[in-house]
Amino acid sequence: MPTTRPSRPQLDPRGPRFGAGITAVLLLAVMFLSLTGASTAALILLAAIAGLFAWGAFAGAGRHPYGVVFKKFVRPHLAPPTDLEDAAPPSFAQGVGLAVSLVGLVLGLTGLPGAIGIAAAAAFVAAFLNSVFDYCLGCQLYLVLVRFGVLNRVGRAVGDA
Amino acid sequence: MNPLEAIGLLFVLVAATTVLGLVWRARQGRVARVPGDIITPTDVAVTIAFGPTATLLQFSTELCARCPGTRRLLGSVAESRPGVVHVDVDLTHRADLANRYSVLQTPTTLILDGAGRVRARVGGAPNRADIRATLDSIAPNTRRTLTTTLGSSRADD
Repeated sequence: MPTTRPSRPQLDPRGPRFGAGITAVLLLAVMFLSLTGASTAALILLAAIAGLFAWGAFAGAGRHPYGVVFKKFVRPHLAPPTDLEDAAPPSFAQGVGLAVSLVGLVLGLTGLPGAIGIAAAAAFVAAFLNSVFDYCLGCQLYLVLVRFGVLNRVGRAVGDA
Repeated sequence: MNPLEAIGLLFVLVAATTVLGLVWRARQGRVARVPGDIITPTDVAVTIAFGPTATLLQFSTELCARCPGTRRLLGSVAESRPGVVHVDVDLTHRADLANRYSVLQTPTTLILDGAGRVRARVGGAPNRADIRATLDSIAPNTRRTLTTTLGSSRADD
């Protein structure tokens, strides 16, 4: 196992927060549609959001369409970032968002009432906290996975060697 | 549900999330004075010797947005103080350490005195002033060395 970290893409941390803001607003729209009985529209919008989460998770937070919007239209109006951040945590967070919305979609499609709205609410809380308070849910969940030993197998193998 | 009720419910959700965020932010970087056990470099699997006056023991994972910034901040605080050492421990492959020291978020920083005893704990990204103030109170030696030097040079006059 190499001790030096591979160089990873660096991001202006305000980019993912900007994107999380848009996601939070869209998730509020999903909840509104779901609460007012427009379940099909809610399902379609959540599926679209899941698609965007998948994009961020697999292509990396730096290549997310919201990130492109941020770079082109928002960042030129802002002061240069004080610090760049690793793209891995926001990309992982996108994966968490994808998992939550997929669970909502599957349960919604099987006819469980309220599944779409509840999944949207859970994802909203994370996106809103990320956007407004710079809270990193991905970082928190990663530590939880480490503590439950999900990510520990490699370490154990190295320790034995 | 009619649209007005739905909007009302969404307002409640936004308000509750805002309160959650404010509480979380208020707790970030707060220094808690918790007396604890003695930790040695071997305990946390590092080869760096701990500081003779104090050690800033940071726990990180490789997936942590605030850890690199915290590493720079604590590193510069340690550099500016004689006898203070900053150590960063990656928990990614050491779940046992995360459990032993009850690390619930990254970064988490333990402030150890010269004997290696835990004196304070900081959850989340710390702020420079609080870390300095804590070091002043748990390891006044750094300051005292300076004053004696000044005092003795004055006595020579």
